[in-house]
Amino acid sequence: MAEESEQSSGRPDPGTKPVHMGRRTVLGILGLAGIGIAVGAKVDNALGSVSSAVSNAIGVPLPGDDQFRFYTVTGSYPVIPADTYELTVEGMVREPLRLRLADLLSMKRTTLVHRFQCVTGWYVPNVHWQGVLLSDVLEHAGVAPEATALRFFSADGEYTESLTLAQAQRPDILVADKMLGANVTADHGGPVRLYVAPMYGYKSIKWLNRIEVTNQVVNGYWEDNGYPANAWIGGSSSVSVVP
Amino acid sequence: MSSDTELARFDLVERLVHWSTAIMMLTLIVTGAILYLPSLALRVGHRGLVENIHVITGLSLLGPLVLGVAGPWRKRLIKDLRRFDRWGASDFDWFRGPARRSGLPRDKFNGGQKIEAAFLGAVMVAALVTGVIMRFAPSSWITWATGATLVHDALFFAIVAAVIAHVAFALSRPDQLVSMFNGRIPRSWAKLHAGAWLSEVEVSKGEVSEADLAGPPGGSSP
Repeated sequence: MAEESEQSSGRPDPGTKPVHMGRRTVLGILGLAGIGIAVGAKVDNALGSVSSAVSNAIGVPLPGDDQFRFYTVTGSYPVIPADTYELTVEGMVREPLRLRLADLLSMKRTTLVHRFQCVTGWYVPNVHWQGVLLSDVLEHAGVAPEATALRFFSADGEYTESLTLAQAQRPDILVADKMLGANVTADHGGPVRLYVAPMYGYKSIKWLNRIEVTNQVVNGYWEDNGYPANAWIGGSSSVSVVP
Repeated sequence: MSSDTELARFDLVERLVHWSTAIMMLTLIVTGAILYLPSLALRVGHRGLVENIHVITGLSLLGPLVLGVAGPWRKRLIKDLRRFDRWGASDFDWFRGPARRSGLPRDKFNGGQKIEAAFLGAVMVAALVTGVIMRFAPSSWITWATGATLVHDALFFAIVAAVIAHVAFALSRPDQLVSMFNGRIPRSWAKLHAGAWLSEVEVSKGEVSEADLAGPPGGSSP
């Protein structure tokens, strides 16, 4: 036992009967990581409430918690007072709109309870969303027959997004002014953000202040960074979140 | 011995691999913290840019190590990597703490350094694999991406803890810290902390070549 594996390296190591602990450590950790990748989604699910509670208490996000991560693509983020907010709908429309928050609140309201799923993997389950269906806003403006696409602009001046007009007709895409049971806060993209339930989170543009109806899909910020424009969660458009 | 006041501990290749990897790890920790911690994410912003720096640095992380073992300059690095792998009684003994160690002569690295090297090597690979899944996996792999995110987030804490420990140990052991800059360490340090390595070095300084050591006992000798 003592001398049996001396031959491989050829160097005598006085007092050493080599055990390949380095290799074992590496393989052990990689094995754990592999198991984590394979069953992580289930673990994440199970961890959710516990991890969130601890995370809330210590103020640091923890693996598997049900907390939002906060993204902004500029050096800061816009904080827009609710009473000065305005959403412009223009381009290939019969009647360009300037919608204030009060206008949105007086339109037909829609509520969705659905997860916010980031393309990198994290998600927040059962988020309460409320606002006006994008299709209702478009109907209000009267989309020209030759229009095929939408461009979305953010008040941060940098973030942009896109949808096809066909996608925008879905009953699970909201111009949202409420989430998590309250007004959309500035760090979440308030006072008004988009919520595209069937697609990954980057499609749900924050600080939405302009919708342009057009006849060409133009890549948005994250598409320019290599993410797909048709960002269906799980790769398929067939799953509707509306029962 | 004439030049026995200092011993060569790390060659230039090893130091270059160490410091370039260290700079990249630091970049990854800083950008990773910005991406991960909401307060930093909102303060710093520029998410696209920070993400690209993080991803490109992450993809390059193993580059120095791979280059280090890829050419004829690899000898010393490979030799030390083997030391991280091969544990003897003195390495296990190290974990009993200063007061209870039996005084066995130790290798060039102690058990703590060996476990840390293996740990950091492994978490670097694990972070690379999970990071690639998070960034480049097709959208139908979302379940795996969630698993990868869980692991990657957990690795963030593990890596930060390991790096803090590494830096703290280094700062409290100036001889070893300096050796990662100039490659040399006092012989007195080796005598006290790495007796087995010192004998090894002195055997080879006494004109006994490694080929002789590897060969059959009693073989040709100059």
